[in-house]
This record gives sequence, C-alpha cells and structure tokens, in this order.
Amino acid sequence: MAALQEGIYHAPGRRPGRHFAALFLRVLPGVGARAAAAALGDLWEMLQDLKGGRVRDLPGVGLTVDQDDMTVLLGFGRNAFALDGVGLRRPRGLADEYLFRSADPAGGGPLLRGSGLSYAPVVSANMATEAFCVQVIAESKLAVDRAVVETWKVLSDASEPALELTTFYLGNQRNDHRSWIDFHDGLSNLRSEDREGVIAIGPGTDEPWAVGGTYLAFLRIAVDLPGWRRLSRADQELAVGRDKLSGCPIVDAGGDGPRVDPGCPVAGTQIWESANDAQFSEPPEVSDPLVRASHVQRANHHIRPASDSGSRRIFRQGYEFLEWADTRSPGGSQGTGCGPGFRAGLNFVSFQDTPARLLKMLTAGGWLGGANFGGDEAKLPELASLLSVFAAGVYFVPPVVDGEPFPGAAALGAAIAARPPVEPGSTARPDPTITGGAPAPPA
Amino acid sequence: MPYDAPGHADELTDELRARWNETIARAFASQKDALKKRFFTLDAGELRNPFSTDAIKWPGDPGKPAFCVGEANAQALSDWGLTGRRAVQLEYCEYMVLTARDATGALRPKRVEITTEFREFWACVAMHDPDKVRAMATDVLGAEPSWRELYGVADPHALSAEEREIAFGHTCAGHGNDRRLRVAGVPAQPTGRLNMQRALFMTHPINGIDDLIYVAIFGAHAYCVAPRDERRQAGGDDVFSAFKVTHLACNHADPTISLGVYDLVYQARGAQVAFQNPLGMYIREPNLDVFSHDGGRVPDDWVRFSRGRPGSYMRLEFGPPDDHEAFLDDITLSLGASEQPLTGGYQLLRELEIGPLMQAGEAEPIAEDEWELLEPAPGTIACDDAESCRAVRDLLVRYEAERQGREAPRTMPEPPKP
Repeated sequence: MAALQEGIYHAPGRRPGRHFAALFLRVLPGVGARAAAAALGDLWEMLQDLKGGRVRDLPGVGLTVDQDDMTVLLGFGRNAFALDGVGLRRPRGLADEYLFRSADPAGGGPLLRGSGLSYAPVVSANMATEAFCVQVIAESKLAVDRAVVETWKVLSDASEPALELTTFYLGNQRNDHRSWIDFHDGLSNLRSEDREGVIAIGPGTDEPWAVGGTYLAFLRIAVDLPGWRRLSRADQELAVGRDKLSGCPIVDAGGDGPRVDPGCPVAGTQIWESANDAQFSEPPEVSDPLVRASHVQRANHHIRPASDSGSRRIFRQGYEFLEWADTRSPGGSQGTGCGPGFRAGLNFVSFQDTPARLLKMLTAGGWLGGANFGGDEAKLPELASLLSVFAAGVYFVPPVVDGEPFPGAAALGAAIAARPPVEPGSTARPDPTITGGAPAPPA
Repeated sequence: MPYDAPGHADELTDELRARWNETIARAFASQKDALKKRFFTLDAGELRNPFSTDAIKWPGDPGKPAFCVGEANAQALSDWGLTGRRAVQLEYCEYMVLTARDATGALRPKRVEITTEFREFWACVAMHDPDKVRAMATDVLGAEPSWRELYGVADPHALSAEEREIAFGHTCAGHGNDRRLRVAGVPAQPTGRLNMQRALFMTHPINGIDDLIYVAIFGAHAYCVAPRDERRQAGGDDVFSAFKVTHLACNHADPTISLGVYDLVYQARGAQVAFQNPLGMYIREPNLDVFSHDGGRVPDDWVRFSRGRPGSYMRLEFGPPDDHEAFLDDITLSLGASEQPLTGGYQLLRELEIGPLMQAGEAEPIAEDEWELLEPAPGTIACDDAESCRAVRDLLVRYEAERQGREAPRTMPEPPKP
C-alpha cells in the first residue's frame, strides 16, 4: 500500500513543526544508482535513528527528542533518474517542462518564461537542482540543525563516498502567522478535505509506481524590504489583497482606501483562527480590477474541484528565513538602493500531484503570469522587483511502500533487503545490503 | 429570458433573438424536473444583487484521454485531425490544424483554428436566416461559402425553416443529439467540408448547450454529507458517486461547472445561479509571453481572437498567415525549462482557459428540507478504469496502427458519453 511520506502536514488539525531544513545532495562523479541507493539507505537509517534520539557518534546515549516531533522527507530530482542503472524512467512531473529554468551563468535570468519572477542578479548557479533533497521539519531548531550536521557526517564517513551535501537552507515559522512583509501569510491554504486530492498522485496515470507520491516545489525567495517599505500601507494592501493589520481580504479598492468586509474577522478572533475559515480566510471573488490584480486574487481563482490540476490549487508549507548578506553595498539589495545588511524571505514549499499546477499559476494570464508579486506593478516599480529567487527546484517525493528501506528505493533499480529495526539504545550500524535485481518496471 | 447572440458577436433581429432564446429554453425544458431546483434560473435578470464569477473555467485540452492513456498519447489523439476532433475534443472547445507545404514540399502545420461556438446557435441562425449565417461563415472563413457548401442545396431560401435545419445539419452541424434531426437522417457529425476541414463551430453533441445546462443544474443543489452528524460540503467524489455519474468527474469541464455552481450555492448557503448574458463559451486570454518566434514575441497578427469581445471571444486563430513563410512549428512554446515547437492544438489548449460567464445572486437561505444528504463516496473515482477508458484506448490502438501503416479497423469507436 503506497502512502504519502511524512513531512506533509495535510491532515486536519496537524500543524507543521516550527523549524525547517532543506538539504540538497549531489551524487559524486562515477557513482551509479546502486551505490547512491546504498548511501541513501544508510542516510535514511541515520535520520530515523535521529528521530528516535540516537546519534551515531554517541553510542548508548539517548537524546531528549520527545518534543522535537521531527519528520524527514526524501525527494528525487531529475538527476537521480539519470544515474547509471536507475530502475525507473524519469517521472512525468520531472520532465523539463515542469522544471524551473536555470539561472543565467552571468547571474539572474527568468525563473520561467511568462513569469515575472527572476533569479537574483547574484545567483549564477541554482543550488536546488541536485539529485536528491531531504526535508527535515521539527519543533526545535536544534533538531533540524543536528540533522544537517549528522547528514554531513554520515556522507563523509562512508568508505566509498557516493553523495555529498552541497547546500542546505534553513527556515522557521512565525507564531504571528505573518511573513517578513508584515502581512498574514498562508491563510487561504486548501480546505483540509481538498488537500489529499491536490497533493497525492492519484490513479489514472501510466506510472503506477508514482501513485501515492507527490511533487515538492521549492523556491528560496528573498524580499526587497527597503522597496516594500517605500510603499504606502494602502498600496501594500492592494498588492497583497489583505488588510495589513487584521488580515481580512480586501473587497474593493475604495475611494478612501481599501475596504474589507465589515464583519471580518469574526468578533473576538484573529483572522487565522478557525472561526474565520469558512467566511474570511479564503478571499472572496471580487470585481474591482485593482483588487483582482492583488497577489491573493491572482493565486487563487476559486476553481472547483481542487483535485483537477486546472484549479491550480497547491498545498503550501512555507518557512521564513533571515540570513546575513552583503546587501549594504550598492546593488547589494535586489531592488534599488542599499539593503539592510541581511536578506529576509521565504522558503516557499508546495506539494502537488503535478508541478503543472504551480507552473501554470506562475505563468498563466490573469493569474501570476507576468507578475512578480501582484498588485499594480506598472504603477509601482517596487512591486515588479519585490521578489527575487535564490534557489528553485522540483522533486518527486516517492510514496512510502511497504518493504522498501527508504522511499523510492525501487526507483534506483536495486532491491534492498529490509532489515529489522534497530533496538533503542543499540549501537549497531548494519550496512545496507544490496541484493541486486530490479523489482520495478524497466526504464 | 433575454440572451443575446453569444459573445455579442452578431446583431440579431428581435425575431432571431426570440428563436435563439427558444432554443435555450428547449434545452432547459428537456432536462428532468427533479434536477431543477430554485438555485438555478435561466433568467439572469431574476438574480438579486448579482455578481459575476470567474471560477468556472478550465484548461481547454481534453482531460479524459490524459487520464486514460497519459498526456503524450492524449496529445497525439487530440491532434489527430478530424478523427481526434470528433473523438476526444469534448471540453466545449474544438480545433483543427490547418496545414500547408513548405519550400521542400513537406506538409507542416500552419495555424490552429479554435472554436467554442455552440452548434445550436449556428443551426438556429441557419434555420431562420440563411443570409445571416452565410455572412457569419464568410466572416469566420475569410471567403464566402456557396449555398451548397452551407446547405447542400442551391437555394436554401426555397426550403422551409425545418428543411433548412436538416440541410444545414447534414453539411455543417450534425444532429447534436436532437431527436428530430436524428429521425430525419442527419448524421451525428456533418459531412460538408466547411466544418470538417475548418473549425467553423463546435459539432460534437457533447459540446452542446443541453449538456452545459445539465451539468449546471446538476450542481445547483443543496448537497451535503454528514459523516459524523456534522453537515459539511460534499466533494466531487461524493456528488458524482451518489448519483452514479462518475464519468462526469473525469474531464475538465463537467466537474468544474457542476462543482463550481454547487460551490456558489453551498458557500452562500443558498445562492441562485444563472448564465450571464450572453450565454456562450468563452476563451480567456492566454499569456502570450510563453510563445516566441525567432527569439522575439509572436507577431500580433498571428494571434487573432474573434467572434466576441475582449473577455468573451469564442474563436482563436493562432499561427502565421498564409502569405508568411513561417509555419506553426516555427513558434516556440517555453514551458518550464523546456523549449518546444508548437506542433498542434493540444499544446495551445493547455495554455488557454475556457468557460461560460456565470452569475450568482442572493436568495433565501437553504431550508432544512432542501438539503440533500449524500452518502460519502466509498473512495476516489478512478478515471483510468478499463471500462470508461475503453473508447480512448481503442482509439489509441487505431492511431498507432495508422501511424505504423498497418491496416486499422474501419469502425469509429463511440466517444465517451457524459
């Protein structure tokens, strides 16, 4: 029975942990699918041990992880399916038409033709295009940080190294439900009953081994905060489509400033509380063209059923980031003028049964096509360069299949003998045993 | 009931407008009474404080074949000339690819003609006003067709209105599942070249207004499920499974219309929904930045919307004009990290959204006895099951046989029924 991997918090009432890491793993030159599978098997086992509080360099020591609630998710990129001896052909959702464009070798360049999103001028290589990615989510920062360090250890300790950790990105969720532009974010995510139909690859495909899996899209997006803060509150609200303070959806631009439904939010509640879910979380359809041009209106046209990819609904699970960056020098900020000496932004993560949902949302006319963020970008140039991309990738997230030592093992063309679980406190480190043979359909 | 010509594309006399509205009314009257609830009205003028919705639209590419045989095969079938048009172009959108020979003598795609015009409207005009329909056809085709090409006779004025409808059905419109026309021997699909070699207007019976009205009124109900005695909105699987119409879930158009209308009813706890005037099927403008030619934008005159107004066009001709040396596959479509030549209509339809314009208005709240409690669906509807995919798979066998030059069965498989 195939099921979605953990780390996709779509079930009603489940909230993702506060801290996030996305790790990107490159396959070393000359390494084939079998050796990559062995390395992944070892890595996966180490990460499962970490969830249980066991660190390989601390035999017999049990870490306190009760509150960490750590989850680990493994994704396969296009390059994984180009390895020698791979067992399955590249899944359809990793076809070139569903991937992001490369950054220009000189820096910058469009993320997609037809989109207003571009790589930052300082980005000449997109680091989120490796063969594999690992998403780690936990309630504590230590748990995700430790996963990064322990990943490096296990890969570098290998007697015959097969993978290397090329980069990682960290992020955290804010408990005020806002993003760095100060507005509420993530309010109009999918209704819980629609989520699985959007996320999981369903039957009706000629890739039955992919059923129950999903695609992860990752974008490391920086925000030009100096540019954003030059805008008036009203311009910001019309760009976002929500009231800055309450988070209520804007219903018309108004003569005296943007207006919201006077009943929003439900008395005595905050917009992100469930009492507002039915009425106000999802912005209503509007007729005012200024409001229709806003970000929230462009990103969701309220098309039913959500399970049809034509609805362009996605399941978002983003994490903010803040990092030091040399943005004080001229041109250091992605917009105009000098930056603040740091870079703030969003690790955009979405899950969907086909990346087409996201790519069409970003490129289609009337949606986010041609727009950087949304709002009146012709009148307000700050909006046309508000966001810039520092990394972008699309990964196939194989389903969990009984008997596989790690998700997607069969895709790498080798049946790997399942081993008995390691007892808590055990120091045993059984090596993954490649038994050979490809149980999956030929590539 | 005040519906004007679809897209306001044509000026109608009062009489012709009345005839068109009679056609719409007949399509509504033909639906089962049990389907008709107060949440749908044929008269948008009845709506209280109406607002327009942009939520009922879908990609124009055929959805069902992709479920059954995958996207690559769906593209091949959809682009398979008249056969593909008649078998799989069932999303209220039909197209033909016009071809021409290049300097080497190779036959290549030149332009795509896309139409979302209802056959019922053309048939109505053809029945009551031959001169008008000839003017419409001239406008669309770029040259005046003969009466014989339109009606199969030298002078349609000499025929009665009913005889003209039959004659026009034979040559241009097909029978559209109209019982009277079937009895009169009109074939399902037309036999004249105007709407076989070109895409004059839609001809497949599934792409008709009776089907459109059916799926709209099917959705205009106060459905709900209550798995734990807690009433909640039904999902598509619940609705289509409950009424044993699971086939409606397996394309783009039908579930979007039904569930879009239902969403308006449910979310407003009793909205009334109607087709906005004029009733038609409209093409939303695509993002042309994804297309390029010689590294630049596609010239404006290679993208010709017509039969309507901005926001409500029903026809798109895409590709270089005859007097230009370029071909359709000289246009590059940039999708994701790929650059691909535009070889047919399927790729283009994936970039378009199609849909009617609909409105909703305030109405009385849903009364307790109006709720229709459905059993939650036992599972996700499988759109790739062997039975519902049989016609598509048979078609693929024929397509592959033809491509390989083998002898193919000569029977035309029935397309999937709604």
